[in-house]
Amino acid sequence: MATTEFPRPASSASSEPVELASANPDSLHKVMHARRSEYVRQRRIRVKVGTWNVAACPGTDKDLARWFVDGEGLDTATKPAPASGGHDNIGLYVLGLQEVNQLTAPTQYLNKIFITDTSAEDKWKAALEAGLPEGYKFVAAETLGGLLVLVYASSEVFPIVSNVSTTTVSAGLLGGYIGNKGAVCCRIILGESTNLLFVNCHLASGVESSYVSQRIWQVEQIQEYARFDPIQIAGVEEDDKGKIGDEDFAFWFGDLNSRLDRLPGDEIRRLLMLHTRGEYDLSKKGLPREDSLEGEGVVVQMLPGSNDDAKETEPAKETGSGDSGADDDDSLSLPDPDEFPLDPSEDPASLQTTLQSLLPHDQLRQLMRGGKVFSDGWREGPIDFLPTYKYDVGTVALFDSSEKRRPPSWCDRILYRTRKYKEEFERKEIEKEKRRKKDEEMKAQGLEQAGEEEDVLFSYDPDNDGEEAASSAAKAYDEYDEDDDGNGRDGDEDSADRIRLDFYTSHQRITSSDHKPVSSVFTIDYDAVDLSLRAMVHGEVVRQLDRAENEGRPVVTIIVDYQSSQSQSRSSSDQLEVDFGDLRFGKRETCSMTLANTGGAPATFSFVEKPTADSLHNSQSVEWLTTKFVQSDAIGGTEPSKLGKEVTLEPGETVNAIIEAFIGDINQSRALNEGKATLDEVLVLRVREGRDHFIPVRAEWSPTCIGRSIKELLRVPELTGIRAHAKSLADKKGTLAAIPIDVNPCRNAPRELVALTQAIDMLADRVLADEQMLEECEIPSAPGWPFDEFTWQATDKETRSSQVADLIDALDQGQRILEYFPPETPSTQRLEAVAEVFILFLRGLTDGVVTVPLWDLIEQRSIPAILQGVTASESTNEADKGTILDVLQDYPEHHLSFLFVTTSLARTAAELAPVTKKDLEAIKNDANAEGGRGGFGATFRKSMSFRRGTASSGEAAAKAFIALNTRRAKEKKYAEVFGSVVCRRPNPERERDRKALEERQRALVELFIRKKGE
Amino acid sequence: MADSGNAPKPSSSVKLVLLGEAAVGKSSLVLRFVNNDFQENKEPTIGAAFLTQKCNLPTRTIKFEIWDTAGQERFASLAPMYYRNAQAALVVYDLTKPTSLVKAKHWVAELQRQASPGIVIALVGNKLDLTNDEAGSGGDGESPGVDGEGDARKVTTDEAKTYADEEGLLFFETSAKTGYNVTEVFTAIANAIPETSLKTARGPGAAHAAARSEEQRVNLNGARDQNAKDGCAC
Ligand SMILES: Nc1nc2c(ncn2[C@@H]2O[C@H](COP(=O)(O)OP(=O)(O)O)[C@@H](O)[C@H]2O)c(=O)[nH]1
Ligand SMILES: [Mg+2]
Repeated sequence: MATTEFPRPASSASSEPVELASANPDSLHKVMHARRSEYVRQRRIRVKVGTWNVAACPGTDKDLARWFVDGEGLDTATKPAPASGGHDNIGLYVLGLQEVNQLTAPTQYLNKIFITDTSAEDKWKAALEAGLPEGYKFVAAETLGGLLVLVYASSEVFPIVSNVSTTTVSAGLLGGYIGNKGAVCCRIILGESTNLLFVNCHLASGVESSYVSQRIWQVEQIQEYARFDPIQIAGVEEDDKGKIGDEDFAFWFGDLNSRLDRLPGDEIRRLLMLHTRGEYDLSKKGLPREDSLEGEGVVVQMLPGSNDDAKETEPAKETGSGDSGADDDDSLSLPDPDEFPLDPSEDPASLQTTLQSLLPHDQLRQLMRGGKVFSDGWREGPIDFLPTYKYDVGTVALFDSSEKRRPPSWCDRILYRTRKYKEEFERKEIEKEKRRKKDEEMKAQGLEQAGEEEDVLFSYDPDNDGEEAASSAAKAYDEYDEDDDGNGRDGDEDSADRIRLDFYTSHQRITSSDHKPVSSVFTIDYDAVDLSLRAMVHGEVVRQLDRAENEGRPVVTIIVDYQSSQSQSRSSSDQLEVDFGDLRFGKRETCSMTLANTGGAPATFSFVEKPTADSLHNSQSVEWLTTKFVQSDAIGGTEPSKLGKEVTLEPGETVNAIIEAFIGDINQSRALNEGKATLDEVLVLRVREGRDHFIPVRAEWSPTCIGRSIKELLRVPELTGIRAHAKSLADKKGTLAAIPIDVNPCRNAPRELVALTQAIDMLADRVLADEQMLEECEIPSAPGWPFDEFTWQATDKETRSSQVADLIDALDQGQRILEYFPPETPSTQRLEAVAEVFILFLRGLTDGVVTVPLWDLIEQRSIPAILQGVTASESTNEADKGTILDVLQDYPEHHLSFLFVTTSLARTAAELAPVTKKDLEAIKNDANAEGGRGGFGATFRKSMSFRRGTASSGEAAAKAFIALNTRRAKEKKYAEVFGSVVCRRPNPERERDRKALEERQRALVELFIRKKGE
Repeated sequence: MADSGNAPKPSSSVKLVLLGEAAVGKSSLVLRFVNNDFQENKEPTIGAAFLTQKCNLPTRTIKFEIWDTAGQERFASLAPMYYRNAQAALVVYDLTKPTSLVKAKHWVAELQRQASPGIVIALVGNKLDLTNDEAGSGGDGESPGVDGEGDARKVTTDEAKTYADEEGLLFFETSAKTGYNVTEVFTAIANAIPETSLKTARGPGAAHAAARSEEQRVNLNGARDQNAKDGCAC
């Protein structure tokens, strides 16, 4: 076993490049570690570790300081005293004891565990403190049943010890049976930097493989379940609890109960006796009396089979399954004489030779070599001392003379491990796994030959204890070791884990227990943190990392590409702004911008929904902008594929954002006309984990006639459109506003109304003419056409809405609207578009043609036509109209507008559903022929029923009736469309009331649409 | 070695927003604090820059999540989005520009009305290097105040301090240019944040960008979970 590799020069600053760009949480740790050399200063400490199973023997505490502190009781007879075995300069004393109190019954054991009993601890503390030199201070103690670990530090070391945490793992209980087994552990931090772990354990006893398995399991339990308080340094606590494996240096000691496998107990005794008999001759060596006691005599007389007299001196031993049946395994023959040169006449080294011959049978060593326990980097010093168990109490070297005659074994051990050893093991495991994988691959490819060859090295079968397997394992182990040393040297250059085992020995002449104490001194060079240096480096690193984090944020660059229409965008490098210029009612404006990921990280972004929606600063909020993302390459293509609300771009990728501006809502139009809202918005493009981009978007509202009162419209001077007028007013006032109505009107009816009704008249004529002339022109037969939107002929929405927007634009500019249509536009479509604008315009009137008070007045008159519907009686209708006109008389502005609307509708209905003079005559004649005033309906029915047989006069009448009927249906439908468009009245809540109101409004309009004399 | 023990625990995060008239030096203060740097002609912020910076206190580490907002008036309506869930606000004015203090007072009033009640507000008078004060000139001799070009100070310390005291604000006079008092502002804020208002960090498992989504961001739903395992020194 490699044990000494020491000392090595302090490693210089690591030149390893440090990944600063990544902002992962490990970075700080990694960078700090890489820069260790800048803030650590190397220090050296000597740690003395001792372990002793005191077997609850009286008087053991009196012996403690002698061997543990003073280093006495060494077997100077069989081996030289260790050169540096003294107690000088010990920084830490770490003592592990087992069986400090005798436990006989499980209940007693439970009491010991669960009821704090510090008497044993106090006794041993006192015993140790009495022996320790001046200045040593208590650091930690922990007990579990008979287990006790004590840690003391010198006055120099004590101040740099921190984060002391102890824990226990009861391997017995965890295994489901009660037993006095487990571990007490202690973790400390030296110099804010170096984590030291001490584990004192007592494992299950017994030779047989079931006990071996149990011990393995117990070690695993301890390794897995030991937990320490989270480390806290500089006021900052780690997240996780500490565990075994976190440490830089670990020491695992105690009664590991390792036995000699497959050797008959008596043979071992015989072999050892050959030496001890001679070597412990007291007279020859002149050992102090108290060391020897009556040992010598016994040793000399000790022969296989002659052990009866020592029986009563055997102390009460632990009960339970312990060692039963462990001793009489004589199924095996003696060791090979080649391996064990038994010639007793050889030089004094022959004891060592004997020990060397026995050690391969040590279970712990076998297990470690086989990778079954303590394989992950643990080491043990060379054993050059006699087995530590089991002696008759009071004897230096009299092996168990009781009936049980337990075979001597090395139960008491000290193992150690550094971080580097552990990491090397882990690295090798990974390599092994890689090779295994490669091997499998090769096999899969049919290269069995190669595979098998390589396999040999790694085919140790742990279930097979045959010699063959053992030797192959040993072979693997040896190679491992070699490898280890080779790499170890390289590794050490970077590592501060430097440890030297100064000695590893038993204290043979301590006789108060049936176990001999074992002790080691380790010299460790460790890096102690210089706190102020570290704070400095730490600050620097954090700053760098913060900087890297900030610089590593996603970056998106925005460039405005184009904007539809006349708008001009200013988009300099630092000023991003979208200006749509003039925005007209119903006109959709778009702006495209390119968003590019110009950073080094993926960028995810989206527009923040209504960033200012609830803010106090905003006046009346107008929703006029919509945004969407489209694939960059799709621009200009047929149909750009729309993306989701959130887009992620890899570095270098781009995407387009389309911003659309649109006002198509009458209320918004009104708010803008009156200057109560402005088209001034800030879009916020939010890049996740990055910055928010503010994109100011503005547009200038083009004042429009949509969303005005008749009063306003009447005060627009004759020659200008409303837009120019509103703008000139705004220029004076500084802001858009309603047109003042405190001046005299310039006209009798709104210019727009006149223009629209004229256009409708003209287009109605044109449609009729086109129907006659052009084959493709067909007037839709639905009665509501062209005002009922459900009758509009299928045309694409965009074309229609831009036609509408253009018409409104023409109106607003005071231009002739019909010239706005492209020449190829069919007249039917033109009429529909104008009709749509007509309705929009009327709806947009803020006061309405028939205002609320006006409507109320009309209702107050209880006009029959309005209450019961328009009748066929012309005279009553005329009377009703008269009443209404009376009311309207007092509202000249609305009066005229009302007549404009209704006259136009009547005219259109008449044009599109003509009833000729001839028709009227035919009906008249028919009625006269019937000789009475049977009314239209009766006559019509009659004419139909007699159709076949009657003369041509009847046929003409029937045709006339159809024409008249068509007209009536048209009038009725028009009235239905315009009733609520023309009249203002808040809608009643109840559905029934609303229907009734609509019915009355329809009646009002119908009354005026119906043509006189028909 | 045990360096994991040196990495302070996941820190508490503090959302901090900078407010103030354009060109008073908000971005410069952040640049000084975060990068220990200064730019003579800094381009104006259009939008809201997001930066993080850790700050080590004796007992805890605080990770500032800084939102440096544009100061232009036209963006004022967006400010609530940033101060709404902020635990700290730095309201900055320019010592050489009295109107900027007026604006600062408006911000303070708005914060007191609209921001979360526990918000820690620091009033910061910046560009101290332009005054005759010894401290602000930073000893580099460059500052006009020292060169006898006259004291550019237009807002007295007394005036601002009195106001700050009345309103219960932290108060500092700084120079982003020389760095004078800049770290102190942030440290003072960190110290003034009540322990209870700090969100405790979650485990390192939450380190995925996906987890740090909208909810942590300014205007939306409050708590920003953070996961930095790093510590820092201011
Ligand atoms: N002399 C001086 N100039 C400063 C200081 N802080 C900022 N400035 C300058 O003032 C201008 C505006 O700074 P900036 O940080 O962009 O202000 P912000 O709009 O509030 O973010 C820049 O030209 C800076 O260089 C300071 O402390 N002293
Ligand atoms: Mg700025």
